[in-house]
Amino acid sequence: MNSPAADKVHVAISHGDWDSAVATLQKLDPAEAAELMMGLAFEEQQVLFRILPDDFAAALICRFPYYHSYVLLHTRSLEHLRAIVNKMPPGERLQFLDELPGEAWQRLMDEISGEALPAGGEGVAVEAAGAVSKRPPAVEPIAEAVQVEKSFLQPDGHQIQVIAPTDLSLEADTITALLGPSGSGKSTLLRILTGLIPPTKGIVLWHGRPLHDCAPNLAIVFQSFALFPWLSVLDNVETPLLARGMEHEERHNRAVRALHAVGLQGFETAYPKELSGGMKQRVGIARALALEPEILFMDEPFSALDVLTAENLRGELMELWLGKKIPTRSIFLVTHNIEEAATLADRILVLGRNPARIRADFRIPLKHPRNRNSAEFLVYVDYIYKLMTQPEIEPALPSAPAAKPPYPMLPHARPGGIAGLLELVNDRGGKEDLYHVADELHWEVNDLLPILEGATLLGFARTQKGDVEITEAGRAFANADIPTRKVLFRDAALAHATLLQQIRISLASKSDGAMPLEFFRDILDEHFSAEETQRQIETALNWGRYGEMFSYDAESDKLSLARLEHASDSKRDLLRQS
Amino acid sequence: MPAPSKASSGVPPWGQFPAAAPSLLRDLPILMGGLAIFYGLLVFARYGVGPVNTQAEIQLDPGALPKYAFFSVTRIAIAYCLSLGFTLVYGYVAAYNARAERLMIPLLDILQSIPVLSFLPPVMIAMIGLFPHSQLGAELGCIVLILTGQVWNMTFSFYSSLKNIPREMHEAAEVYRLSWWQRLWQMELPFSAIGLIWNSIMSVAGAWFFLMACEMFTLGNRDLRLPGLGSYLQTAANQGDTRAIAWGLAVMVAIIVLIDQFVWRPVIAWAEKFKFEQVESAEPAHSPILDLLRRSKLLPLAARLTLQPASEALNLYFSRAAASRTGKAQDRDLTRWTWRALMGLGLAATAYAVFRMGQMLVAVSSAEAWGIARGAGATFLRVEATLALAGLWTIPVGVYVGLRPKLSALIQPLAQIAASVPATALFPVILLILVRAGGGMGVGSILLLLLGTQWYILFNVIAGATAIPTDLKEVCDIFRMGRVERWRKLLLPGIFPYLITGFITASGGAWNASIVAEYFRFQGKTLSTVGLGAVISQATDAGNFPMLLAATIGMAAMVVTINRFVWRRLYGLASTKFKLES
Repeated sequence: MNSPAADKVHVAISHGDWDSAVATLQKLDPAEAAELMMGLAFEEQQVLFRILPDDFAAALICRFPYYHSYVLLHTRSLEHLRAIVNKMPPGERLQFLDELPGEAWQRLMDEISGEALPAGGEGVAVEAAGAVSKRPPAVEPIAEAVQVEKSFLQPDGHQIQVIAPTDLSLEADTITALLGPSGSGKSTLLRILTGLIPPTKGIVLWHGRPLHDCAPNLAIVFQSFALFPWLSVLDNVETPLLARGMEHEERHNRAVRALHAVGLQGFETAYPKELSGGMKQRVGIARALALEPEILFMDEPFSALDVLTAENLRGELMELWLGKKIPTRSIFLVTHNIEEAATLADRILVLGRNPARIRADFRIPLKHPRNRNSAEFLVYVDYIYKLMTQPEIEPALPSAPAAKPPYPMLPHARPGGIAGLLELVNDRGGKEDLYHVADELHWEVNDLLPILEGATLLGFARTQKGDVEITEAGRAFANADIPTRKVLFRDAALAHATLLQQIRISLASKSDGAMPLEFFRDILDEHFSAEETQRQIETALNWGRYGEMFSYDAESDKLSLARLEHASDSKRDLLRQS
Repeated sequence: MPAPSKASSGVPPWGQFPAAAPSLLRDLPILMGGLAIFYGLLVFARYGVGPVNTQAEIQLDPGALPKYAFFSVTRIAIAYCLSLGFTLVYGYVAAYNARAERLMIPLLDILQSIPVLSFLPPVMIAMIGLFPHSQLGAELGCIVLILTGQVWNMTFSFYSSLKNIPREMHEAAEVYRLSWWQRLWQMELPFSAIGLIWNSIMSVAGAWFFLMACEMFTLGNRDLRLPGLGSYLQTAANQGDTRAIAWGLAVMVAIIVLIDQFVWRPVIAWAEKFKFEQVESAEPAHSPILDLLRRSKLLPLAARLTLQPASEALNLYFSRAAASRTGKAQDRDLTRWTWRALMGLGLAATAYAVFRMGQMLVAVSSAEAWGIARGAGATFLRVEATLALAGLWTIPVGVYVGLRPKLSALIQPLAQIAASVPATALFPVILLILVRAGGGMGVGSILLLLLGTQWYILFNVIAGATAIPTDLKEVCDIFRMGRVERWRKLLLPGIFPYLITGFITASGGAWNASIVAEYFRFQGKTLSTVGLGAVISQATDAGNFPMLLAATIGMAAMVVTINRFVWRRLYGLASTKFKLES
């Protein structure tokens, strides 16, 4: 991989010189170029692919896995798509088409022959906008964030950046989903776009004017519903209308209409606490729709509901949207649920963590309503899984003022979860599709990601192209009994996890083998926000206790090795007795 | 009986008149009540603007009691309304202005620890100075005095409620651009209603407790007395008139019970809807009076003709005003300058006040300072002894009652009535008994403190014992734990957070009550014992301002220190380690 050509491409990309990267690639043998490209980060692949000449793209595309090719192809305009497919070597084109699932094949065929236009018209062909492409979007956006970033000042004067400079635009007739693991700053980004939180730098424009200069007509549906429990359903829906100075009669009519739209007629005089979760969220949606907002923002609107209710509500929302029963021109949905995003969204933004930035921005050209079991749908779900589980590349920030190297983060996984994942994969012959794993264990990507990261960090598993594969060490762990597992876990953790290494070394260097937890908290505080520090500490304690690396006494807030020896002594005594 | 709260909505206001005869009958008491209140206000106003008479002869004839009771209730009501207004403004500013918050909350903490009597001289002198020619001055002074005893905890409650409004609810209000007026009525007041109501009940109870001290006192060479129930009881005690004391007490208890039934119970039941809960509670509070009001035809009619149009107009006015506001930047500049000017003025005033206080404190001789220190020590011991005594009987009794739901349903209302009787009113009776039995003021003051503060602990212990989960009790049964082990492992840790809450309230109350418990005029003599409360009362009586100031600073310092270093830490422990997660 470390050929001079690869280095050259990396250097060119890090300087933003995409053209010279393409030139270098073109000089290579296609097989080598394809391999080099697969080694790049997704966002970089996307940008590169978009500016590749058709011939070269055709030569490369048949060397990628079929779903990868499929998604990349759809980042190009229809015209280019046709040209590229036409220019593929005939044998390889046949093989690529052959591998495609039925519906994906059908769609591609339609697109090539120019018969059907996908949902959203030429919208598919509009190249993905945003940070990656650095080109102005073809359509005038409704709302636009220009280089917004957010950082918080720690009490000790450290700046912690939670959102890296980000460009983002929301266009008409689009459902945009913002997808990312929990704690990645999705909700913060939504709050910046809606003006609830001012960005530290950058600006949010609404029809080209700064957000705080105009009063944009927007609405938010909240995760916790945020209804006023002391107001009736009708009064709750009327509240924002009253705030706009609307007269009683019009207010009433509009609210009743909105309630009717979400199927709540007859519940006007009920109070929120008399309603189920799904009904409450309907009130939340009605309250938002009554304003007839230009953009409807939804912040994890279905994640507080049970699976069936959520499914139902999603369906109804789509019915309103597709049937043009609401005057809303655009929907912005924040979610951590991959399937939800793939079901609803026309465009998906994937957010990376620490600090948040857009890793990928692509469209899903499938028609609504989407069939979740269709192979084509699954191609996209697979693709997103792969995207989200691929380790993130560190953002190249040339302007970053002598930033410290980031402190390696412990993934927030419980040892039990890691064990469960390894057992399942081991039972399946050592390799399994991530989407299937999540499905099997009823994990959402939120649960899966940290566990996967944990297993990878410990060297028990690796991810490859959307699959998780168990390593030798992982297999040994999965097959071991509980005491052996603890030993294996401890050895792996002390070999790979920086925080645990530090704790262990610090404790060992003290004569009494004990140290206040506060000491480590202070170290972490320099690198993380207060909540993240808390989560890091909790995870470290969890791992440390499971692997019997140290013990923690809540009363004195101290970590120590001493109690451990004491404990293992008494365990030995017990063993001797029995 | 289900309460058809919205039964009459949708009916035109003047409809169904002929059929309304029985309901008119039902509305009669409401109508008469309204008229009575109006007449009362008229009487009070006429008396208020009348000539100065601060030496009113207090008649001990029971026939005069209704008039006195009426005056006292009016004073407390006015003081309460003023407290509410102060609470809303102060709490609002402290919660939303981060810079002000840093000043206002510690200040509130200190003000709360200053006993009522210490406010007396400055308040009285200022008020009488303001209205030298009418009764209004003395009356206002008395009202402000009552206010200083009841306002602080309400303010704290409102402030912390505002701080606890969920983030997403705030965001909803912001993103939907609610005007400040709409925010206040649809979000902030409803959210803080329940805390505010419970604190109002406590505050009014506190007002009754200090009523005697507020209505009749000497200030230097002036002897002020205002006609009222408190001065009636005080005079009766001075003259040792047992019959009058009994009459006064009976009327006072009756009024307290009536207010409880006709004001607080309905308000609590009405406030059910402000509970911030996601599911409906199984046993909502009930009040027959509220049911009567809800079934009334007259009130909704009146509301539809007056309140509803008014609220509609106001809401629309503020919404439109907010929407059309421009030149924000200029606004912000202006507020920043106003703020700076205010800060400068405040700082200058504070500096001047501190300077004058220093000058005044120089006048305190070393002997007097020693007296204050000795008094502080004595009161400290007295308060702690009271808390220990109270804990000693309330913990076993409270746990016994709390673990038995039927018994606690029987005991709670009785205990609540007992607790509502202000201990100060009982004091003459107790002293009478003590004097006959040969006891002194030392024992008496502890007894009075106990009477005033034990209830906080008892109610909290009962609540704590009721909240212990059944499965934990069953675990104790299964493991056949002995009594000692059961107390150590389950009961004491289980009630710990409640116990601490009770002790905190009781401790604050006891310090404040020491000013009336350690110094009492009875049968023409002044009985007192060594203590900080006695020092303060004495200094007030003698008009010895330097001494009063020094002793007040001493007491505030003691209370704030104990709160910071003992109670707050214990509270932290209670809310982390001993919290029973459901």
